[in-house]
Parts: sequence; structure tokens; C-alpha cells
Amino acid sequence: MHAFDRGGGVTMTGEITPLFTGCPASADGFWVGASTVALYRADGRTILFDTGPYAYRPLLLGRLKRLGLTPADIDTVVLSHLHWDTATNADLFRSAAIVVHARELAYAEKPAAHDWATPPYMARALTKLRLEPVNEECEIAAGVRIVELPGHTPGSIGLLVGRELLAGDAVAGARDAARGRAELWFADGAQADASLARALGLADIIYAGHDRAFRVGPPVAYLGDYALRIRLFVDPVGMDQEICIKAETARSFATWPE
Amino acid sequence: MVRLDLLIPGLSAKTDHFLFGICTLVLLRDGRRNILFDAGAYRVRGALIAALKSRGLTPDDIEAVYMSHLHWDHVENVDLFRNADIYVSRVEYDYTAAIAPSDWGTPPFVREILDGLRLVLLDEHEQEIFPGMRTISLPGHSAGLQGLVVDTEHGKAVLAADALWSARDIVAGKPDLAFFNFEQGAASLTRLLKAGDIFYPGHDRPFRLDNGRIAYLAQNTYRLRMAFQPDGDDLECTLSTAAGA
Repeated sequence: MHAFDRGGGVTMTGEITPLFTGCPASADGFWVGASTVALYRADGRTILFDTGPYAYRPLLLGRLKRLGLTPADIDTVVLSHLHWDTATNADLFRSAAIVVHARELAYAEKPAAHDWATPPYMARALTKLRLEPVNEECEIAAGVRIVELPGHTPGSIGLLVGRELLAGDAVAGARDAARGRAELWFADGAQADASLARALGLADIIYAGHDRAFRVGPPVAYLGDYALRIRLFVDPVGMDQEICIKAETARSFATWPE
Repeated sequence: MVRLDLLIPGLSAKTDHFLFGICTLVLLRDGRRNILFDAGAYRVRGALIAALKSRGLTPDDIEAVYMSHLHWDHVENVDLFRNADIYVSRVEYDYTAAIAPSDWGTPPFVREILDGLRLVLLDEHEQEIFPGMRTISLPGHSAGLQGLVVDTEHGKAVLAADALWSARDIVAGKPDLAFFNFEQGAASLTRLLKAGDIFYPGHDRPFRLDNGRIAYLAQNTYRLRMAFQPDGDDLECTLSTAAGA
């Protein structure tokens, strides 16, 4: 639970609920794209930050349902950027205002040739929705600000709630935060590094694009554990094999420098 | 005879974080044309381009893409093939004008994906679209799923897509995922098993049936790396369908 002051001494409470915890995974034959999707709820507002890859779709609907929500209950969707793994299910939210940076939207109409992460049809798919492009930093709910964090893409944005930041891929993970370098960028590397530094200065807690949420510190410290369960079969007549890949907070930081 | 080249084997895996959606993608070559069977999920876009490149091809060299159906994990990369005729079942295409609310498999923006491509709509009657390649109508998993029966030097290959999600459908005697119509899906499963000698499921490795026993013709192995330690080594693990891996 997060509490903040809305000026005039009225204290509001709001809550960030991660629906999908991003995972810093890569593979040799496919893109994992396990990005963070989170909900911010306060004072009658229900804001969804990012919508994930299509591969989240039934799970996203299920996780909203578990919170007693349907897509129609989301009043605002903030898209940090228009990559395949962050913005693909926006079409589920037909009654919501879709907040995206105007520069990102213009760029997505003709992505650069080297940019493998922005689907060429993304902008076309979004035009059917209630788009509310933003051109500058602004408050979209009491104490909740859109912040510009370009570099990873031309119009990457984050959502700042008090001193907590939903960062999208401007802060991909704790490794980038620790090194002070944005490793993966599509628009401008120097700008991405500057946005990473700014993000780390703006917030005490960061919900990274492809990692667990962490306290900026120093030292950087994850807020929770992560586990990925995979089931597959070798022999169709036999049992599933089950693999569980775990990241435990304590072990992750066994070698963390003080 | 058609040469059949498995670009990406379907992966029979599930996770609790996302759907893999890694389906079987096959390159068919009849000596004159390069034909792609299904286009795959966005996740395999890079792998598909790399698989084509390793065969000396780019997406521009593909003359035809045969879309088994229009689910997200089969269609997301079809926009890469700007020079190709895109073969789609008319029933499947027409269905996308009014997608059932319960159907989360067909992207509501699938027509935006297909926008600007050269579509060839196929009627339900089965036909030879290229020498040695016959369409086979296999509805049930989706409204208008169509597979392909291909004459190869090893016998007739049935490219079944998700009418046969995996070899487990045969073990269970029913389709795993017939989310459009179960009865249709069950009939399609029975029918496709009689249509050839080698089977290419949507999300499993190709196989032969030896006296009812499933004998796989390929395996897939992926290495996963997790950057769980900001200051340490990645955690590595292997995901493999090969026995004893």
C-alpha cells in the first residue's frame, strides 16, 4: 500500500498490484518477452500499466478476473512503449483511454528497419481504440504522473506513483540499474542511459520491465521471489516433465556488493 | 515430389507465466517455388528469419504462405512475406469479421496484420494448390482450419497444424484443444490420421506411427538463461524434448 499527499493535506491511498512479474530470461531459439504488467488502483481509478505479449492474453483475463475485474473496469491503459511484448493486448480494453506517447505512436507507423521488436501492424491495430496520445509529462490521476524515459524506444514512458515507478523497459532490470547501463535499446543508447539514471533518481521502488520489483537502495534489493514453472513431455504416453526455475531474493543477492 | 524442411518444430510445453505458442513451421519446395506452412508467433520471428537465412533465403524469396488457420501463434509473422500469395481458408477469413467473444485465440486485429498482403481465399472443397500438395479440411480447433497433405519421398506427410495439437491427441483419442467445435475436431482428428504416413502436429515434433507406436522424427532443445543475479552469473537451464537430455 502506498500513501501520498494530494496537496491541501488530503492523503490518498493507492495500490500497485503486479499482474505479471517480468522475468530477465533469454533463450537461444525464441524471444521470451516475459514483461511486467501491473495495475494501479486508487479512489475509483483503475489503471493498467502495459498489456504484455499476446501470449499473456488468457492469463491476463484470468488474473483480472481473480481481482474481480473485467476489461471494462479498466479506465486507463498506459503503454510504456509499443513493443510486441508490452502493448499487444491493448485491444481488450475498448472502453479505456489508451495513453501512449505521441512520438511512440508516430514512430510505430513506420518502425526502423533494424527494430525487430515493434510489430509493423501495431499502430494499425491501435487506431480502433480510444487513443489519448501525450506530448509531455502530465498527471493522469491524483499524484500519478507520466514521465518521459526515451532511449529504449523513441517515446518510452513510465508511470510515477509517489516514489514508486512503473518503468517499462527504460529500466529493464536490476542488472541494468546496478551497472548504470541500459543494455538493450532500439532508439538511442546515450538517451537510454540518461533515462535509466533519471528513473533511479525519481524512485525508491522500481517495477522493472523484465525483472522483479526492487528497492533502488543502495544496495539494490528485490522485493520478492520469482518462480517459473514449465511442463513439457518427451514421451506422449508418459508423464509431463516439470521444471521449476526459481529466483529467491536472498540467494540472488548472495554476491551483491555492499 | 516435394521436399519438406522443418524450420521450427512445434514445442509441446506450457508455463504458468505465458503461452509458448511455438508451432510447427515448414518450408516446402517443389523445385520451382518456396512455400511456407504457417508463419508462427512473434516470439519466433527472429528464429524464423534465421532459419530461412541458413537455407540461403530471405522472407522476400517466399512465393506462397499457406496459413492453416488464423490463431495468434500461427499468424503474427505473416506480414514479413510481402511478395507471397497468402493462402487462407475462406471460412476462417470470414469468421474474423465476427470473432466469438470466448475465442481468445484469434486476434481481433488479425485483419490489420493481413492488411496489404496478397490474400488467396480457399474454398472448403479440397484441391491441389501446387503439384503434390493437397488441402485437407480439418475444422474444430478453429472455424476453418485447413491442413496440407504433401507427397514426399518418405510417403504422404500430413501437415495438420492444431487439428493435431500434439501426439497426445492420439493417445487420448480426442483433440486436446478443439475450442471452436469439439465434435468437428474429433472427426477431423480421425480423418487426418487416415490421410498419410508422417504427421506434423501443430505443437509437437513430427512423427510416424509404427504399429500404433509414436516414433518421433525430430527433437527440439532450447537453452534458457535467467539474469537473476544483477552482479553474478546467469542461471542456465535446458528445455529439451529429447529423451535422456
